[in-house]
Amino acid sequence: MSLRALWIISHEKGEHASIRFSRRFATVELRAKRLSGSSYVAVPEDDCFLQLLLTELGLSGSKQAFVAQRDDCLYRPRSPALELHITAPGKGTLWPVLAISQAHLTLACLPLVDASPGQRPPLSSLLSESQGLSFLAGLQTFLLAPGSKQDGEGLVSRLALLPSVLLQVCPLGTPLELPLTGTLAMPSPLTSAGIQKQPAWRTGLYRGRAVVNVSVVETVRSMQYGNRSRQDLWDVYGTVACKCEVEGVLPNVTVTLSLPPNGSPLQDILVHPCVTSLDSSVLTASSVEHWDGSAFSGPYKFPFSPPLEPFILCSYTSQVPVPPILGSYQLKEEESQLHVSVVLKLHESVKNSFEYCEAHLPFYNRDQMGVVEVKVSSGQLDVSKEKNLLVWALGQKFPKTREVTMEGKILFSGPEPGPSEPLCTGLTAYIKLYFKVPDTTLSGCSVDQHSVQVYSSAKPRIVTSRELHSKDYWIWNSTVFSLPHNHKHKSPP
Amino acid sequence: MASGWVEKVSAFCRSPSRFLFGTSSEVFLAELLRELRDDRANYTVKVLLLSPLCEYPALLCPSDSVGEETALELMSIFTQSPPKFVQFRSQLLVALTCVLTCSSDVSGRLRAFPDFLDLLLQLAQDTSDLHGDAAPRSLRATACDCLREMEALYPGLLSQRLELLGGHRHQETSRLHQAYAGLQALVLRNAVYQLTQEKEAGAAHLRALLGGNESVECEADQNAGPASGKDSAPLSSVIFGPMGTVPTLHTGPDCKELRSALSSLLEESYLFTPLSQAALLYRLTEVVAMVPAIPPTIFRAQLLRLLGTSEVTLLHTTLLMKSAFTDSLFSSEDEAFLFKRLVVLSQHPLLSTPEKLFYMDCILHFPENRPISCGDSDEALPVLLTPRLASALLPVVFNDSATLLSRFNLLSLVYLEAGEEEDGRGLEYLYEHLTSLLRIVESGGKRENVVTFFRAAFLFLFHFHHVERYCDNLSQQLCQLYLQHTRFAPHLINLADRTQEKLPDSSWALGLLKALQRVISETPVSQTTLRDLRWHLKVLTRAAEEGEISQHGTLRFLSGIIPPSSSSLSSSGDWRLGNGILGVCRRLLVHPSLESMFIPLADILQHVAGHYGDTDIRDHARLYYTLLTTLSREKLATVLAHHAEGGQQVKKRTLSCLMTEGEGLTSILTIHETEVAIIRLIEADCEQLEAEDLVQDEAERGEPVLETYRAQFGSAAFASQVTLKFLLTHTETRDARFDQLFSIRLHFSLTDDHYSELQDLSVPCLFRERPPPVVTLTLKPREPYPSSLHVSAIFTTQDGLTWHTTLPDIRVCFQQIFLPLPAPPSWGRAGRQAVFAGLWEEMSSETGECASSLFCCQLEEKALSALVEKHFLPFLVSDPSHKDEFRALLFLPPQSHVLLKISSEEDAVHFCIATDNWELLPHINDYLLKITAS
Repeated sequence: MSLRALWIISHEKGEHASIRFSRRFATVELRAKRLSGSSYVAVPEDDCFLQLLLTELGLSGSKQAFVAQRDDCLYRPRSPALELHITAPGKGTLWPVLAISQAHLTLACLPLVDASPGQRPPLSSLLSESQGLSFLAGLQTFLLAPGSKQDGEGLVSRLALLPSVLLQVCPLGTPLELPLTGTLAMPSPLTSAGIQKQPAWRTGLYRGRAVVNVSVVETVRSMQYGNRSRQDLWDVYGTVACKCEVEGVLPNVTVTLSLPPNGSPLQDILVHPCVTSLDSSVLTASSVEHWDGSAFSGPYKFPFSPPLEPFILCSYTSQVPVPPILGSYQLKEEESQLHVSVVLKLHESVKNSFEYCEAHLPFYNRDQMGVVEVKVSSGQLDVSKEKNLLVWALGQKFPKTREVTMEGKILFSGPEPGPSEPLCTGLTAYIKLYFKVPDTTLSGCSVDQHSVQVYSSAKPRIVTSRELHSKDYWIWNSTVFSLPHNHKHKSPP
Repeated sequence: MASGWVEKVSAFCRSPSRFLFGTSSEVFLAELLRELRDDRANYTVKVLLLSPLCEYPALLCPSDSVGEETALELMSIFTQSPPKFVQFRSQLLVALTCVLTCSSDVSGRLRAFPDFLDLLLQLAQDTSDLHGDAAPRSLRATACDCLREMEALYPGLLSQRLELLGGHRHQETSRLHQAYAGLQALVLRNAVYQLTQEKEAGAAHLRALLGGNESVECEADQNAGPASGKDSAPLSSVIFGPMGTVPTLHTGPDCKELRSALSSLLEESYLFTPLSQAALLYRLTEVVAMVPAIPPTIFRAQLLRLLGTSEVTLLHTTLLMKSAFTDSLFSSEDEAFLFKRLVVLSQHPLLSTPEKLFYMDCILHFPENRPISCGDSDEALPVLLTPRLASALLPVVFNDSATLLSRFNLLSLVYLEAGEEEDGRGLEYLYEHLTSLLRIVESGGKRENVVTFFRAAFLFLFHFHHVERYCDNLSQQLCQLYLQHTRFAPHLINLADRTQEKLPDSSWALGLLKALQRVISETPVSQTTLRDLRWHLKVLTRAAEEGEISQHGTLRFLSGIIPPSSSSLSSSGDWRLGNGILGVCRRLLVHPSLESMFIPLADILQHVAGHYGDTDIRDHARLYYTLLTTLSREKLATVLAHHAEGGQQVKKRTLSCLMTEGEGLTSILTIHETEVAIIRLIEADCEQLEAEDLVQDEAERGEPVLETYRAQFGSAAFASQVTLKFLLTHTETRDARFDQLFSIRLHFSLTDDHYSELQDLSVPCLFRERPPPVVTLTLKPREPYPSSLHVSAIFTTQDGLTWHTTLPDIRVCFQQIFLPLPAPPSWGRAGRQAVFAGLWEEMSSETGECASSLFCCQLEEKALSALVEKHFLPFLVSDPSHKDEFRALLFLPPQSHVLLKISSEEDAVHFCIATDNWELLPHINDYLLKITAS
């Protein structure tokens, strides 16, 4: 449950890599040494570690096509626990090195293996493994927290804070808590503790009028082929975010999610650890099984004692019968021109009031666009000839018919080749949809303002909201069949 | 000042070895401590100064005594530091913990240890700050964490304090109760574990521990226990102990105290941060696993909350409980539910990729209630994972490569297990998926796509090599891929190597190589570019290694590219290409079917030998040709045989290969590091510098001798060097590999700036059985002080490998810098005496750097003569026969002098010293002490 060392590395796609921060925990290292006896492998110095890690992550030597150490086809279950082979001085294998990356930042740590030496235990038997993952993720959130500029001063100032943060959250290599992302004030004092014990994750006390903010955000993903041989796919998942400003050491709040009368049950529910108790029926529905219609479908009650900072109370997935926007995309090569035909239909159950709705049509592996003669029945069309991209802005509303079309021809006669993408060769092409619909959810899930209960003396102010947005919403050209298989076999009910 | 420290500390932490190259650990430690004691120093900087001690305590305090001193020093700094600097004081506690635990050897424990433990306990109990500001709380929390770490290092250290800790936790209402709980849980687990190791232990002992009323047995325990200094090693997890057995403590049903301690910790577990909560639950799981009298159902109330959690570490704890208690805590419905949960989590859209991969790993190691295979094979498929359930984890091309491969592997296992029942639909899907990946690679995928595809292909072959239909098709597709992108040759060769290595029974790799050979030899030479050709030759070389593959196609291809009429390729004289051709030929020379290829191969070699554009290639071709035509098959095979490793490497390379093919080259080109010092330099027995025969009959000089003497200093080459002789020998470590060393290049680096940089020295060879070679080291002092030098060497061993090693440091002693008076050669004794007299007069005035001193000691007259003879003869200016006063002049390059007048007075021997560099006085004093004492 302890870490031997921790590293924070920044790089630009493997280039200019440097260790921005590193920390070795000497006492844990000593335990590692005594636990593993003769098979002990010491943590190498930073430079050596950096080289080994970059090679293992496939980030080094990007110019060479084949490097045996990096590109061997022998399958080693790599991520999330890597093996680093130290050659000199002191040969051996450093395992399990955990590494997580986001953008230009890679965080790595080496958890202590508290098993008897000899046979390597499975990853899943080491609690330090999940502790390391959690801790790295927490550090990552702290370092890349919004409000700080992504790569500039924000990171530098947060890195500078790290020694004192680590003294709080992980003084001797055993992670105790995650760094707080919000204000970095010292934990505020308790004036009078009383009998009630303060949760360790609640850093202080709130004074003032109780305000509870609950927002349900749903995301819909889709893969549409417009082809009989391949089923269209879509899925929906949602998160319930809360911010609770409530007085008391261990205040009680209950949020209830409810579904419309014949809504399909919320599945795969995951809850925040501050939820005090759960009804077993809440957890029964799962997306990996077929739903037999008899499953529990709410209301879903979540009693909890909130932390001070905003948090995700719970998340769920849902199976909705139809995708919100059904698209059809047809491309035909006519002599040197490409004939484009698109139809998008908004399903009648979805609220016709968007914050934005845009369709992007990129064209890869072709010359740049020359002549574009494309008409749309609604909305505006932007042509970016350099990027070989059509952006169709549909605005806030679909027309009354709930259907929009695009029809036209494109001549790729530009002077230079456009962008390339190995997936989209020939007529394999896609439309990607970006939209956001406020005040609605696809699953119908909602939080009624009156269902939020706060056990406190003063009457609380309660704010609830909903929204739906898209992510990975693809509509593929239906005139070709070359597109590789790319989604679950599973079908919606 | 402060910024200097920031850089210094960060340079140290980045690479301590490099940092300590320029200084020593003692010096750095002393500097750190001095700065820490300095009241004027900024406390933010002081916090930083502690980090080297926290991160590398063993390096800075390499011995018990240094550790002891440092700890005492730090403790006094702690007592003197103002309480308001909480962060500094906390960090100081951390540093103390590190120094006290890491600087001592495994067995010993430092004397400051009990004092520090008392300090920590006192700090941890200090609740006087209840209404104060928040700061001291953090000091208390740090003290608790230090105690927890000490208990982890020395299990049982705090077992007598269990009740006390429980009490503090109970009373504490601030967030600190978490720190107490973590400490209490660990101490409890260690204490119970220790009881399981004692034969007689039972319920009473357990009660005594928890109740804290120390019974006789407990005191006895204490004496034998770790508190007395005999340390037990840190404990590994008891659940996954050796042989999978959990040590147990038989208490009978009566262990109310333990049960209530556990329930109270469990009740409050909700109040802890997920990380601490998971650690606590795991410790308690271990305790319950060791005490059968406590039913695992004690965890029941927490389970539902844990099963629904979004926190990876809490769910993981649940899995670990499952693995510890199986069906005594989890019914088969619970098990099925938990398993489904894992499948859900390993593809949940809201979780991060590493988390999902972790859950996928958990699926493969799922602790089943009734495992079918009890073997300890690494990855066993749980029965619960049906193809239907697993379909949620089908790989898709949009997955990142780690996820994709992990899913591919999992699904392969599932379909392999399902076999016939599933009528091959799953297998079909996997193969289709593989082809999709191939399409992406074909249409110009990035390097990552390429690597992922070949790994997926290997996985597929590994699991389904018996399904010929797919494997044959895969070979064909790979050949097509190769023709389009010859740069994938190394990947294909690697794939062939690996499948052959991992699947010795399968002939797939052979088939692939055969097919590749065929497609290459069928390609018209006119359509081949130079780059393609290089790859083709690589593939053909690999195919030629297989005795079962007929090589006629290869020969055809080679003869196709050889004649200059067909292409300009071979007449271009490209050395690398020629080398490629010869590489294939070399393999063909040892191919079993050489007989049948004799004539075409000889033709090819002859042609290359006669017409290739590069001389080197022609020479080698001629060699091969000669070998082929003159040697018998057996001899040829011996000469060219593969020697995978060992002493033949050099021969193999010089005889038969210009450039090594493939990765074997790396080990030759890499410089290896020796683990211990294998050679050293020892001082050669210096032949005494002879007292020069001086020109006797020399005219008195009119001109001032000192001026003439000093005029020489203008010349750059003037007596500025000191020559030292060493013998280069092996150390005691015997390692046959290093018995014969060649081309040794010695590199010297300075530890201070008293000398100019030194040149590297070369020694041709060093054999253990031969007399050691003499190494002459020429030092050019800037200041004539003693010093030491770091020495390293690079050398070659007999097997052709290059090594780097570090030699023990060599010391440059004070007396080694002495030179006789560098007077012009024509001068006789008189001239020298005149210089002595002149210098003496100047130095006695004690102006500037000049100084004089007196050293006295008791010596018999005879002993004095012997001493002078032994140590000062080359430096004597006076006549050695004048025994009443010896005059010696020590010249120390570049321009210092030490003058000695040695005379026996009534009470003692007087060494009157005069020098023009007063800083030499302590050194000369040390030297005189040393030589007169012996």
